[in-house]
Amino acid sequence: MHSVKKFKLGLAPLSILFTCLGMNVAVLADTHIDEKPTLTPCYVENLADRLLCGSIKRPLSDDKANAGEIDIHFAIIPAIKQSNPTEAVLGFAGGPGQSAIELAAIFNRNLRYARENRDILLVDQRGTGKSYKLQCESDDLVAQFAFNDMTADLNGLGKEDTLRCKSELNIDLSYFSTPIAAKDFEAVRKALGYKGLHLYGVSYGTRIAQEYTRQFPDAVLTSTLDGVVPMQQSLSAIGSAIDASMAALFTRCASDKACTKQFPNLDKQLEVLLTRLDEAPAKITVRHPRTHEKVQLVVTRLKLFSALRMALYSHSTRALIPLTIKQALAGDYSPLVGLLSSSDMNDSMALGMHSAIVCAEDWPRLTAASRQQYGQNYFGKLMIEGLDVSCPIWQAQAVDERFYKPLNNDTPTLLLSGGVDPATPPKWADLTMVEMKNARHLIAPTATHGVVSQTCAAKLVSEFINKKSAETLDASCLEKNNTKQFFMNLNGAIPQVDVSNDPEKKGDNS
Amino acid sequence: MKLLTVLFKKEVLDAGRDKRSVMAGLYYAIGSPILMCVLFSIMLKQFASPDELKITISNADVAPSLIQYLDAKEIKHSTDEDVKAITLEISENYRQKMSEGRSAQVTIIADKSDDKLRKSIAQLERSLMQYNSEIASLRLLSRGIDPTVMRAVNVQVNDQATPESKGGMFLGIATLSIVLTLFYAAMNLAIDTSAGERERNSLALLLSHPLSSMQIVLAKSGAIATYSMLGLALILVVSKFAYAMVPWEQLGFSVNLGIDFILLCMVIGLPIALMSASLQVFVSFMAKSFKEAQTYVTMVLFVPMGLSMVTTYDIGTEVVQWLPIAAQQHAMIEFIKGNPLPVPQLVISTIVTLLLFALFSWLSSRMLKSEKVVFGL
Repeated sequence: MHSVKKFKLGLAPLSILFTCLGMNVAVLADTHIDEKPTLTPCYVENLADRLLCGSIKRPLSDDKANAGEIDIHFAIIPAIKQSNPTEAVLGFAGGPGQSAIELAAIFNRNLRYARENRDILLVDQRGTGKSYKLQCESDDLVAQFAFNDMTADLNGLGKEDTLRCKSELNIDLSYFSTPIAAKDFEAVRKALGYKGLHLYGVSYGTRIAQEYTRQFPDAVLTSTLDGVVPMQQSLSAIGSAIDASMAALFTRCASDKACTKQFPNLDKQLEVLLTRLDEAPAKITVRHPRTHEKVQLVVTRLKLFSALRMALYSHSTRALIPLTIKQALAGDYSPLVGLLSSSDMNDSMALGMHSAIVCAEDWPRLTAASRQQYGQNYFGKLMIEGLDVSCPIWQAQAVDERFYKPLNNDTPTLLLSGGVDPATPPKWADLTMVEMKNARHLIAPTATHGVVSQTCAAKLVSEFINKKSAETLDASCLEKNNTKQFFMNLNGAIPQVDVSNDPEKKGDNS
Repeated sequence: MKLLTVLFKKEVLDAGRDKRSVMAGLYYAIGSPILMCVLFSIMLKQFASPDELKITISNADVAPSLIQYLDAKEIKHSTDEDVKAITLEISENYRQKMSEGRSAQVTIIADKSDDKLRKSIAQLERSLMQYNSEIASLRLLSRGIDPTVMRAVNVQVNDQATPESKGGMFLGIATLSIVLTLFYAAMNLAIDTSAGERERNSLALLLSHPLSSMQIVLAKSGAIATYSMLGLALILVVSKFAYAMVPWEQLGFSVNLGIDFILLCMVIGLPIALMSASLQVFVSFMAKSFKEAQTYVTMVLFVPMGLSMVTTYDIGTEVVQWLPIAAQQHAMIEFIKGNPLPVPQLVISTIVTLLLFALFSWLSSRMLKSEKVVFGL
């Protein structure tokens, strides 16, 4: 009861604004208020501000009436100064499988300037977070460490896992594709009475942002795509992006004197290491990264490569990559254990929903040619093999051909890419905007995945939203180098100082 | 009653004739919010973190990683003229200590009593702490330890504040200027209609009519209160627009004075206006001359101003919240913040305000019965 009262209080300024505009609008506003879902104050992790949360009921399927209903949950981060009450910035999370509401703290930080005068709206896409999360149990860290993917029958295990997950979830994944989910976002927009939305999608979020724009062009005022996934390209193309990002890291080390001295021929060294692991995985006893108990670790190419791949996403962990390779070659897997330490924490990713998207959208369109092309890279090949095992079991209905058409519109669109992005490289954005008539692509040369969180782009996005045009944005600040120095040893970016002629030794004794 | 109305009309008309005096009072109502907003805008610039913090960094060559980190946080070494008087001194043995995993010393040299530097120093300290924690995390990672073990307790804050309620001190100052209007807008008129009328010898003439002295006092207070309320309405409308122009949102809050707030202030303000008028009339009659009245009234107004200040800076005890003016201003602030109104305090203080109005009116009417007062002897 208390919350309802709070909510009505919050609405007071809004209705006043409407009455100022005239009778007709006031009547309209009143009916909107009646339809509005109940909003209750709520909090999310790492964000102290009070949000307003709510949910609406949506049919699981538009066609099959008997399929039932699900609750689509959303959260509003209220504008600091409500100068545009009919507009909101809608944030789309990546993954696919991440919950937008759980990431509210990150959206709040990335959109802090935009929030100064507009609400931020976050909706848990169906299958994620609070909106019917499709999650299956995954192995804990100890089991993952001990698992030997070289001897195990990967396909058989993959099949088994998928079947178990399918029976756990017991739902048709066809209901969770991007085109269907886009309609939920529109229903939330209507229920909350926003006239127009500024979209902000990251990673996979850019795909659903594009699909939403395609289906509901009139509701979209602007669209910001950060780390862009083209509609016409499969996510399996990621392999070459990973390799390119890794190559950029090696080039940077090679061009730095201290790094070359400490880590000579890094690319060759990695090859040596991977080949060695292919021949015989390293079986060692290590300390558990949190409990410090002794556990078994089988290091294989897959594990090492996956850990390095994840490390490529952030400049902090990129700084550890040369050290990790060097230490591993010398038989010390501690840095690798560190990089692997968070791999059992991906509980936030709804893997069922992830499968629903890739099996309905990325897998069906793989041709012999694209398989060949994407399979040239280690990770691309791995991904395709995994999909070939799990997707036939999931039997998610393939999306319509139209889904793969690039967007052709004049919606103001801002595309952002990081120059060393290990997931969505700049050329993906170029592919995305081939037919867009009002789009601008900005590249932050040294950024990785997700430009807004690493650079000055947060300001640019807010400016773009206010102007509804990307033409006059001054993007020079994106040029700023945001890389971090490589760790030369376990203690930091400074290589071991020669102790023999060290004046410090004397200082220590005094 | 009819007589009272006629008398009231006469007083209002009389006061209105002196247009310059009326305008002088109203200038306060128009000017103060605008002046406040200019001041606030300047203050906001001081509060908002500058785009770039330029400091002197000595011995920077030995700590390229730290320098790069600070640069990413917009803290740079500079020799420009606008460089802040802060020096970050990196110790000679920084490289040695760093590579050995011992604490490498950096020293911040600055004058912490310099208010203008305090924010910049805090910004530098914060960035250095963040660098510390980032390097510590990476050191643990490279040793195969999950850095989350350092965070024994995951502290989460659920802030009950809203963007409206974070305005704090600014709201206090804004409402202070609003409340004071009720005392200053019609101050000249109050003195003129009492002490002034006496000096012009028209007070005796008025008293010679078949009127009770209470009726005269009430009519005068009513007229003064009318002009006070006019001033209040004016300052509220001007404030509504002026405060909307200040870019509060850059500091993470908003100040929004709605129509409902204006109406609330008018309702809360009316008893205060009456009390203020009767108080000023009473003090003016107490004084022997016009000039003396001006001094006394100004002095007496320190009392309501003090009560208002106590609320503004939130330094009062629980008791102060029940006192007139303090309680009403507190209610205004709570309303803007979107909190429930402190109804008991508001009711009690309004009753006390009205009782004071009655008391001052009664005292003034008694004084008008004394020849000493009427002729200023």
